[in-house]
Amino acid sequence: MLAELRTLVHKIWRTMVSVETGVVLLILVGILSAVGTIVLQRPVTRPDEMQSAYSPMVLRVLDAAGLTDVFHSWWFLGLVFLVSVCIVAASIDRLPSRWRYFSRPYKYPDERFRRANHPQRSLALASREAGEESGLAAAERALQSRGYNPERVAWQDHLGIFAEKHRISELAVYIVHSSLLLIFFGTIVDGLWGWRGTINLNEGQSSNIVEMRDGQTRALPFSIRCDAAGRENYKDGTAKRLWSRLAVVKAGQDMQTKEIVVNDPLLYGGVRFYQSSYGANGHLTGLEVSHEPGQWWVWSGLALLGVGLAFAFYLVHMRIWVVPVRDPKTGKPSLWIGGSANRNRDGFEERFNDLAASIEKELKRMTSSAPNAQLAMAADK
Amino acid sequence: MARASEVERQPAGGMTLIVMVGLAIAFLLYMAFLNVVKSGNLFSETNLVFATLIFYAGAGALYLGFGVTGNESCVKFASLATWLGLIANSGAVALRWIDAGHPPFANVYEMLLSFVWTLAVLTLIAEKKFGVKVIGTVTMPVAIVGLVLMQLLRTEVHPLAPLLQSTLLDVHVALAILAYAVCALSFALAIMFLIQDHVKTETFLALTSAGTLVIYASIAATCFEEPGGLSRAGWNPGWLMTLALVAMATPLVCYGLSRWKNNDRFLTLANRGVLVNIVLQGLTLAVLLMRAREGGSAAFGGGGLFTASLAAGPFLLTGLVGGIFISLLYLLLVWRRTDLERLLPTADQLDRITYKTICLAFPLLTLTIATGALWANQTWGSYWSWDPKETWAAITWLVYALYLHMRITVGWRGRRAAYFAIAGFVAVIFTFIGVTYLLRGLHAFK
Repeated sequence: MLAELRTLVHKIWRTMVSVETGVVLLILVGILSAVGTIVLQRPVTRPDEMQSAYSPMVLRVLDAAGLTDVFHSWWFLGLVFLVSVCIVAASIDRLPSRWRYFSRPYKYPDERFRRANHPQRSLALASREAGEESGLAAAERALQSRGYNPERVAWQDHLGIFAEKHRISELAVYIVHSSLLLIFFGTIVDGLWGWRGTINLNEGQSSNIVEMRDGQTRALPFSIRCDAAGRENYKDGTAKRLWSRLAVVKAGQDMQTKEIVVNDPLLYGGVRFYQSSYGANGHLTGLEVSHEPGQWWVWSGLALLGVGLAFAFYLVHMRIWVVPVRDPKTGKPSLWIGGSANRNRDGFEERFNDLAASIEKELKRMTSSAPNAQLAMAADK
Repeated sequence: MARASEVERQPAGGMTLIVMVGLAIAFLLYMAFLNVVKSGNLFSETNLVFATLIFYAGAGALYLGFGVTGNESCVKFASLATWLGLIANSGAVALRWIDAGHPPFANVYEMLLSFVWTLAVLTLIAEKKFGVKVIGTVTMPVAIVGLVLMQLLRTEVHPLAPLLQSTLLDVHVALAILAYAVCALSFALAIMFLIQDHVKTETFLALTSAGTLVIYASIAATCFEEPGGLSRAGWNPGWLMTLALVAMATPLVCYGLSRWKNNDRFLTLANRGVLVNIVLQGLTLAVLLMRAREGGSAAFGGGGLFTASLAAGPFLLTGLVGGIFISLLYLLLVWRRTDLERLLPTADQLDRITYKTICLAFPLLTLTIATGALWANQTWGSYWSWDPKETWAAITWLVYALYLHMRITVGWRGRRAAYFAIAGFVAVIFTFIGVTYLLRGLHAFK
């Protein structure tokens, strides 16, 4: 009984973390969103427009199915919630192996790895003890000139060099997905605790009552007073500039004043006042008022998403190993160079070949100057 | 491979097409000449836009010339024509910018001007950097459709409304245009991939004739009363449209027959049918344009031709012109498939180049949405209102996100990836043009 339960839980978990599930869910979200753009939505459409666009029966069906307010319906929100759950589950599922890979660099390639790795190159070394050392030195120089930070690695009394760049790229996917979750979280916070409405004022009038779309009102802990408002036109009569000079009044004192225009609201106490209209509804100025506590989560999420995408697409994790090896049959020494990149492999292969050629050139330069050094040392003696 | 054609040196009907295209370009040149005479000014913005259209259309005609004659220098000259068009295009952009006092982003006309400029630049870069010399066969028609649309949507320079006076908005629109152009490039690359991946020519026949049929059928069957109200005001296609629909259905029917009877002769018939329906498509388009000129804001045609309101006109026009190009490109494939395959990089390379292009497009799309949300928050007090444009931008973003997921995690490459890339671009078109003219919302900046 317990074993069956465990298998069931395991099956559910595997479904949740699979890519196919994510794809199906996202496709559903896409289709539903598309429907929400084609069917007229109640929050932004006047009831009489709804009734003139659809016959009463069609309207009843659409209402019952929730299609007239898709983006606030429980199944749409539930879908988005499921997507978030799957993102979290998939991330957790893959985290242990990813973290192990990230935190424990593979610094010395064993023989089996060397045989299988691509790209790789073997350069012949001089048949001397110093040959190995010159090989490592040549590699270090070539790597340093390319911005790598090579380190000497010892493993079972073998010596090698390991160099890498942009290790963080391996975690880029986590940065991207966490940022998406941050954004979702922000929109949920705004959905629960955010609100929007309007305030219409005449000159000199002040008010602390915000009228919401559904007819309800909301009282603010401070008032807004309109001292003046105006509209400048272009020569053809179209609007050039709508402005209002507003003052925030709290406990009888003017706390803040600002002349607002469209695109430049007044912010006080977490509430924003936007210039919306002039001379409409029998009032001098119309203000759009909104409170969005979740927006900072959304902005940080978007910024993080930008960073994550930059890491994911433009930072390639590149690794280089340089190991002096001895052929088991002939005993000939050679310098094994191998490389690996987590994306853009054909681009990396070019860089790798470039690097190998550079190491080869460096080696030749060192071995050709070495005999002179020997002569010089002999001459000194 | 190319079972669907008898590979003739000079395909029958090829000369007819060349003559038709030549006439069209001559017509354009004549209109341009009239314009210059009327305005007395050679280098006005209008004339430069006209010159751009002529040069890009010239490039398209040269690609078609390559299709008919098989002469590869046509391709080289097409590239040259694109360069010349780009110079005219840059001039037009500069003049519009100076004239308006703001970058060309304030209405659909200006956005299209910037879009075709970006597309031409990307085409030339792709030709050079990726070595895909025939990428223009797909991207230039997209640019030409854009320019034709612009002729219908010409808006005079308006001083900016308060809503549009925002540097952030300029950044947002610039990013959107760049993103869409890169998506268009990935679309062209995906199609080139399908050609190199040995998708059968007959499959292209089925897809292109089905595509044009759907476009024309939906234009005939719907009557767009106003943006947002997709209603069927009764089937009233009129004789020209009916004829066009029959012509469009013929190749598809022939394709079906060839599969059922296993006889290639139907395919040859289908190809002749495509030639005929191109002529009919051209005729339908010409009639529509003439109606639009005389009708103004009244309904297109009505009784005898077809009914569609001008509000949705631009989207319809995109469909009609696009349909012609789709059919022309199919014929290019039929006549010159082996040459095309020789001129293109390998399927594997094209697959990887498409991926890299989308790796550029996706962050751009993300930034577009982000800057849009930021601007909306500053202007309307809400960073996301489920406005149709916003929602469709998100849907487009989702399609490309799915492309990347399928590729990175499941290792889907090749054909499936190409289909996703094509679907993504369809979403881009709908977001760019479709939403503005078919759906309602805050974003309807005409």
